[in-house]
Amino acid sequence: MEKITLSTKDVSMAFPGVLALNKVNFEISTGEIHAIVGANGAGKSTLMNVLAGSNPGYTGEVLLNGEPIEVRTPNFAKKHGIQIVYQEVDTALVPSLSVAENIMLNDLVMNTKGSFMKWGALRKAAQEALAKLHITNINVRTLVQNLTLAQKQMVLIARAIQAKCNFLILDEPTAPLSDTETEELFAMVNKLRETQNIAIMFISHRLHEVLRICDSYTVMRNGEIVHSAPVTKETTTKEIVDKMLGRSFEENFPKEIVPIGDKLFEVKNLSGAYGKVNDVSFYVKKGEIVGIAGLVGAGKSELCKTIFGSYKKTGGAIYLNGKKLNINNPSQAVKNRIALVPEERRKEGVLVQETVAFNLSAACLSKFCTMSFVRKGKVSENANRFIDDLGIKTPSQKQLVRNLSGGNQQKVAVGKWLAADCDIYIFDEPTKGVDVGAKQDIFHLINDIAKAGNGVIYASCENNELLSITDRIYVMFGGEIMAELVTADTNEDEIMNYSVGTRAEKHA
Amino acid sequence: METVKTNHAAKMLLNWAAVITLVLCFVIFTLAKGSLFMSGNNMINILLAMSITTVFGIAATVTMAPDGFDMSACTLASCSAYAFVSSYLWFGFNLVVSILITIVVTIIMYQLTMFLILVCKIPDMLATCALMFVHQGLGQWYIGGGAVSTGMKTSWGADPQRVELSEAFSSLGRAPYIIIIMLACVLIAWIFLDFTKHGRFLYAMGGNKQAAKLSGINVKKYRYIAGMITAVFIAIGGILVSSRGSSAQVMCCDNYLMQSLAAVFVGRSVGGAEKPNALGTLVGSLLVSTLENGLTICAVPYYVLPAVKGAVLGLALIAAYASSKEN
Repeated sequence: MEKITLSTKDVSMAFPGVLALNKVNFEISTGEIHAIVGANGAGKSTLMNVLAGSNPGYTGEVLLNGEPIEVRTPNFAKKHGIQIVYQEVDTALVPSLSVAENIMLNDLVMNTKGSFMKWGALRKAAQEALAKLHITNINVRTLVQNLTLAQKQMVLIARAIQAKCNFLILDEPTAPLSDTETEELFAMVNKLRETQNIAIMFISHRLHEVLRICDSYTVMRNGEIVHSAPVTKETTTKEIVDKMLGRSFEENFPKEIVPIGDKLFEVKNLSGAYGKVNDVSFYVKKGEIVGIAGLVGAGKSELCKTIFGSYKKTGGAIYLNGKKLNINNPSQAVKNRIALVPEERRKEGVLVQETVAFNLSAACLSKFCTMSFVRKGKVSENANRFIDDLGIKTPSQKQLVRNLSGGNQQKVAVGKWLAADCDIYIFDEPTKGVDVGAKQDIFHLINDIAKAGNGVIYASCENNELLSITDRIYVMFGGEIMAELVTADTNEDEIMNYSVGTRAEKHA
Repeated sequence: METVKTNHAAKMLLNWAAVITLVLCFVIFTLAKGSLFMSGNNMINILLAMSITTVFGIAATVTMAPDGFDMSACTLASCSAYAFVSSYLWFGFNLVVSILITIVVTIIMYQLTMFLILVCKIPDMLATCALMFVHQGLGQWYIGGGAVSTGMKTSWGADPQRVELSEAFSSLGRAPYIIIIMLACVLIAWIFLDFTKHGRFLYAMGGNKQAAKLSGINVKKYRYIAGMITAVFIAIGGILVSSRGSSAQVMCCDNYLMQSLAAVFVGRSVGGAEKPNALGTLVGSLLVSTLENGLTICAVPYYVLPAVKGAVLGLALIAAYASSKEN
C-alpha cells in the first residue's frame, strides 16, 4: 500500500480574542496511530477541525502528499479521504432510522441517481462497512435509537470508513466507553490499520490508553505543538503530563484565611446522572472551599447537578449538619438551603429576559411578598444592596440581564443565591467566559461566602484557579473520585496526573 | 440478563399494543354482539367510516415525517371542498376537471403555509394555528357564508350551471370507491415514505435535523416537498367529504383534525416504527373506527363516544412514549 501523507505548514487559527492555533506544523502518514494530547483549550480540537474542513478561516497550508489543498468545507475533506468522528455521537445520527441508513446516509444524499431505495444493496454495503471493522453484534436493520453508546460510535466509524477514508480522526472516542468497550474499539482500530491504508488520529485525555495503542503522540499547549515523538517503552505518563503543562503560571489570587469549622455537608457513595456519577463520597466543612477537579467530561457538572437533584440519584445519601436530606428535585434542594450556580449560566443560571432586580430576588421571591403579592419596594431594596455589594456593572436595576456582560451575568447568578441565604453553594465552572477583572470579583465573592461560615463546592477544570482559591481538592475521572488532595500540599502536576485516570491508593 | 429479556418482551408488547387492542376489540364485540358486529356489511361500515379520517391522517403523516405539524389541514380541506363542489355545480366543469382544479387550488393555498413556515420561520404549530382562521374566513367569504349544494344559488346570486349531482360524483363517496381511494392513498404514502430516498430523507430530518443537514440534505426543499404532498392528500380528503355529503357544508371538514391526528399518534409506535408511518396511521384509524362502530352497536350513547376515543388515544400515547423515552 502506498503511503499517503497529510501535513500542515504554519497553520494558524484565530477566534475573536484568542489565537487558538499558532503556526502549527503537523504531519501524519497512513499506517500510523497518532495521539493528540493536551490540556483543555490547548488547540487539539481546533487543529483536527481544520483538517476536517470545519474551520475554514485558518491561515497557512494544509498539504496532501506535499500538494497544497484548501480544506475549507467538511465535504471537501471527506472527498479527500479525511473523516472525523466527533465525541457527541448523537448529533450526527438519526435515531429513528435504521443502522444501514445511518451508515449510508452521506452516500444516499450524494448519489442522485434513482428515486427508489435499493434496500438490499444498501444493507449489503452497510454490512460490508461493519465487516471491515469486524463488528458482528450490530444488526443493520435495528433502529439507531436502540443501540448502546459504543455501538453508535461504531456506526459513525463505519459511516466514515464506508466512504473514502485515509485519515480518520476520533475525538475522545473512549470517554464514554466502558473498559470492555474500549478494548473492543482498540482491537478494531488495530485491525483497521492492518487491513486498510489508513492513519488514525486520537484526541484523548486518557494517557494510559495513548501509551498502549498509539505509535506516536503530539503534545499541544496554548495553540502550539510542544512535542511530537514516537511512543517507546520508555515513554511515561508523567513525562507527557509535564509537557502538557509546561511551566505553570500561577494566577495571582490571595486566598484569605478563614477559620474552618465542623463538618457541614457530606455526600456518601452518591451515584446517578445515568451512570456518569459513580460512588462519590466527600465532605465540606463550615467555611471551607472544596474544589472538584477533573477534565471536561469527568463528571463534575453531573455531580453538581446530582447533588442538586436535577439528575436522578441511583444510590447514596446527602447529609447537611448530620441530617440526611431527601432531595429528588431542585426545589427540594433549595428548601434545604443548597444553591447551584450552573455552568451554562445563560441557559440555566439567570433569566435573561428579566431585569436585574427580578433575577436577584428570583430564588427567594416569597421573602419579598406579602400574601403572595410581590412587594416592589423590597425587591428593589434587595437589588440595590446586591448591585452594590457585588459590584454588578449595570446602568440600573431595571436593565435586562441579557444586556450585561458575561462576568456581570455571573455575578447576578451568584447574587440571587446570596439573597436566598443558603448553607451550601455549588459553583460549576464559575469563571468560564469571564474576563480577568470579573474573575477577581467572583473569587472575592466566593471567599466572602466561605467567611460567613457557609460551605462552598467549586467545580472547575482550571486547575490553577482551584489551587489558588480552595482548601481541599477532589479529583474526578470517569465519574469517580480518584484522589483527595490538600491544596497547600499539592500542585498542578499532581492534579493532572489524577485527572487522566491515575488512582490514589486511598481511593483504589 | 433477566431484565434485558423482560424489557425486550415489554417493548414488543408496547410496539404491538395498538394491533393487540384492535384484535381484542374484534373478539370482544363479536362475542358480545355476534353477527350484528361480525358481518360483511358491518365490516364495510367500519371501512367507510374510517376512510376520510385515514386520508387526513395520511396528510398529517407526511407532514409529521420531517417533524412538521399542520393544525390547519382540515380547515384547508373545507376550502378544498368548497372549491370542488363549486367548480362542479356553479361553473359546470366535469368531474375530472373539478378534481384537478381542487388539487391545484389546495396546492396554491398551501403556499401560504409554506411561506409562513419556511420564509418567515414561524414554528409550524403557531403558523398553522393562525392559518386555521385565515382558511375559515377566506373559504366562507368565497361561498358567501352558506353551503354549496344543489338547489342553491352561487354566492354572487347567479344561477348555477348544474342543478344536480351526477351518479359518478356521489359514487366517489360510497363503497367501494371511497375505500379503494383510501387504500390507494395509504399505499402511495407508504411507498413514498418507506421505499424512496425522498421519504427516507424526510424521516432523517424528523429524526435529527442537524445530522440531516450536515449530510447534505436540502432540508428546506424537502420540507416544501412534504408540504406539497400533504396538500394533495388534503384536497383528496376535501373531495371525499363533499361527495359523501353530496354538498360542501360550511366547515364540513374541520372536525376531522383531531381524529386524524389521533390515528397518526396511535400508529407511531406500531411495529416499533417510532415515527409517523402510513401503515400505522391505517391501523390507528381502523382502531378508532372499530371502537366507535362496536360501541354504537353495544348501545353506548353517541355522546359518550368521544370520552372513549380520548381514553384510547391516551393509552396509545402512553405506550408510544413509554417505549421510546427510556433514556
